[in-house]
Amino acid sequence: MNVKRMTGAGALGLLALFVTVRVTNRHVRAADAPVTYTQQVAPILYKNCTTCHHPGGAGPFSLMTYADARRWAPQILQVTQSRFMPPWLPEPGYGDFADDRRLSDSDLALIRQWITTGMAQGDLADAPAPPHYDATWQLGPPDLILKVARPYTLVAYGTDVFRNFILPYPLKQTHYVRALEIRPGTPQIVHHANLLIDRTASFRHSHPNDWQDGVAGMELEVDAGSTFDPDSHFLFWKPDTPVLTEPEGMPWRLDPGNDLILNMHLKPSGKPETMDAEIGLYFTDRPPDKHPMLLQLEGDEALDIPAGARNFVVQDEMKLPVDVDVLGIYPHAHYLGKDLQGYAILPSGQKKWLIWIRNWDIDRQSVYRYRKPVFLPRGSVLHMRYTYDNSTDNIHNPNDPPIRVKAGNRSVDEMSHLWVQVLPVNQPPNGPDPRFLLEQTWMEHKLSKDPRDVIALFNLAGAYMAQGDYQQAIATYQREEAVLPNDPRALTALGVAYEKAGDVQRARESYEKAIDLSGEQIDARFNLGRLELNHDDAAQAETQFRAILAQQPDDAGAHSGLGLALLKEQEPEAAQAEFARSLALNPEDPSALDGSAQLAIASGQPAHAVDLLESAIKQDGKDAETREHLAMGYAQLGRFGDAAAQLKAAATLTPADPTVHALLSQVLTTTGQLNEAILEQQKALHLDENDADGWNNLGVLEARAGKTSEAREDFEHALRLAPNHAEARANLARLQAKAANP
Amino acid sequence: MLSFWAAGAQTGRYGVDLRGMPVTELASPGTHAVVLFFAASDCPISNRYLPEMARLQGEFGNRGVEFWQVYPNPGDTASVVRQHNAQFGDSARIVLDTQQSLVRMAHVTVTPEAAIFIPDGSSLREVYHGRVDDRYLAFGSERPRAQHHDLEDAIAAALKNQPVPQPGGPPVGCAIVTLQP
Repeated sequence: MNVKRMTGAGALGLLALFVTVRVTNRHVRAADAPVTYTQQVAPILYKNCTTCHHPGGAGPFSLMTYADARRWAPQILQVTQSRFMPPWLPEPGYGDFADDRRLSDSDLALIRQWITTGMAQGDLADAPAPPHYDATWQLGPPDLILKVARPYTLVAYGTDVFRNFILPYPLKQTHYVRALEIRPGTPQIVHHANLLIDRTASFRHSHPNDWQDGVAGMELEVDAGSTFDPDSHFLFWKPDTPVLTEPEGMPWRLDPGNDLILNMHLKPSGKPETMDAEIGLYFTDRPPDKHPMLLQLEGDEALDIPAGARNFVVQDEMKLPVDVDVLGIYPHAHYLGKDLQGYAILPSGQKKWLIWIRNWDIDRQSVYRYRKPVFLPRGSVLHMRYTYDNSTDNIHNPNDPPIRVKAGNRSVDEMSHLWVQVLPVNQPPNGPDPRFLLEQTWMEHKLSKDPRDVIALFNLAGAYMAQGDYQQAIATYQREEAVLPNDPRALTALGVAYEKAGDVQRARESYEKAIDLSGEQIDARFNLGRLELNHDDAAQAETQFRAILAQQPDDAGAHSGLGLALLKEQEPEAAQAEFARSLALNPEDPSALDGSAQLAIASGQPAHAVDLLESAIKQDGKDAETREHLAMGYAQLGRFGDAAAQLKAAATLTPADPTVHALLSQVLTTTGQLNEAILEQQKALHLDENDADGWNNLGVLEARAGKTSEAREDFEHALRLAPNHAEARANLARLQAKAANP
Repeated sequence: MLSFWAAGAQTGRYGVDLRGMPVTELASPGTHAVVLFFAASDCPISNRYLPEMARLQGEFGNRGVEFWQVYPNPGDTASVVRQHNAQFGDSARIVLDTQQSLVRMAHVTVTPEAAIFIPDGSSLREVYHGRVDDRYLAFGSERPRAQHHDLEDAIAAALKNQPVPQPGGPPVGCAIVTLQP
């Protein structure tokens, strides 16, 4: 026998084979062996069913035990074989999703065989350990828990209920959220929930008297604000995904003043149900280093479905301007949706499926995340093709008899949306944010369907602004103004565009017009205040900031703006009080930190100033002026290397600002880097060649470097610009004297 | 003595009530029709129909129709049903069909399902069994609201001594649990 000739290696090989057989034994049964609960069925239930079907879970009953499985066996058989359960709409093979819940054919066969052969329990020793579910937060105590303002009682019966609960974000600091858990309170009645971020608390402000009770409505629109800040994440809850953890490097942001809105689809259970939803947020200190964006294809304008139409098709398509990875997808229609397709046509002509749902069911809608990102090169065209059934054949039809249906927010209306989460890839490291181009493309696409879409015009102008194309932005805001005249917000944004384009007068006029139209136009007042500050009209700035504070006494930005105005008006004590008030409201207000630091420097406390400014830069690293002030603080502390680093960073941010180069030249002089100092001073003078002081300084540096003739020319240049420049005259005389007596 | 009855040593012809007392009559004198609604405390579709059954009882309860809510599953003991009743506020009289004699008599298979009987001398003649309405056509196939109220139409016809219309489709719900031998 071979046994006698077995070597050590052979023995190991046999052992490995043996182990393999043991592991797979549960699935490879002899054809005549009975299917048992402990060996075959429990693993299927634990993997696919008990996440919802456990005591206290979202499922209506538990499937944790053998007795449970026996009790519900007829339903298990029925709903698994019909693929009603587990809930999973996408067709297999049309998108590879991370959380694919479709049961395999072999699992279906095992379930069928177990139930039809008498539901044998099997040997308890073979049973897998049941999964553990508890009622506590899955990731441990959250960093912040938000609760609905008041419990809500769902009626016992009737059609499904759609309700929006507003949860104001109470903190005074920005936080990045790496994970979130939604606990609806009564999960059995919640089909799904979408969590929206309302950056401007607009939905709450539009329901001032009743928002605490939740607001009825299937869909809602919120005001995203005036700056480019696109939605980036799907925050979607369904019963089997209690915790939503974002990928590494992709947390989402919450700012002071934001609201979260829990948009819930609720199903009456037969008795009144009181729900008390709460949300647990888990923060991270690391801001995102990847910035996904949500794009939307939609065909709402084309939705005009005749009564009785069985196959009404709506399509949309959009060409991608940059390479992207598709991370997730969210198809959305109401009750008439039947067949929902999403795909891309690559530049090569290849069709790449993103999703196909053949039997849409709004009750089972979901966000689908890809197992691996789906790469789509620039030039790929995203497509959606939705088919609707508005006949009596569609049992979900909310209208009996069917009626003509258009787009709308009510459940008896329809919708045609395909949301796609994309992450731009293959971008140059220091290039512009590719999301600007995506936004521009998206909005241009919307305008191609409806040139009078004022939201698209506003957003398109914002995309131009973000790309620094101020003239295009101005033209686009003017287009919007033509469609919707005298809109204070558009005028405010137009003012910013004018200001950025250097047209201070028109900027001022736009802000003033916005304020005249609506005294509550806080942004316009704020911008006007800032504009006046930057143009040395501190008194006017003070007026604007005080007007804001009369309406909103707790506006940290207005307090710090007022502080800066008072600083310029030589009222340091009053300024300090405003900065303190601002920092009490928002300890990270960059202007208040900067203003306090300026006062600290002036009062000989550079170390304190540096602390404040370092904190300010942590909040906003792109403010060159703050970096300049920090450099001054470092310089006072003798930390010239750090000062130079800040000024170099500032010069990168504002390469056209001569002051930064001049300051950097001074610091480099102090550290003995004469040639670099000369270079920076030359850059400063290249940007502002009429600066007599600058020419004098350059002359001094070149004289020190032994470049006598260059130095002489510099002093003469200074004197041509300012014939009475005493220092240049003295320096020139000294140089000439030295030349005469070497 | 109550515990004696509750122990199930002796059940009525039609099961027992929540106190464990045997139910021997479903139709009191003068009753024109008896409606049995088969329910299960842990069946979500059954629970969702309780408000509809309350509506029908409100509609017909004072017109000679006697409503019973029947719990046929062995897990629905008196204490379970009492707790369920406290939550859902069952409107009809409750009978625990501990021997499933009513299940056999009504020829029902799932919860929720209903049956109508007409008193005929000392016996009860079944004229309807099946779904309450057509809101559910199958699991996952649910209308926003019912279009045909099969049970309501059948009760109305029975009261008028008209031919009783039969359900337009099968009942959808949770299979009634088979009693173990």
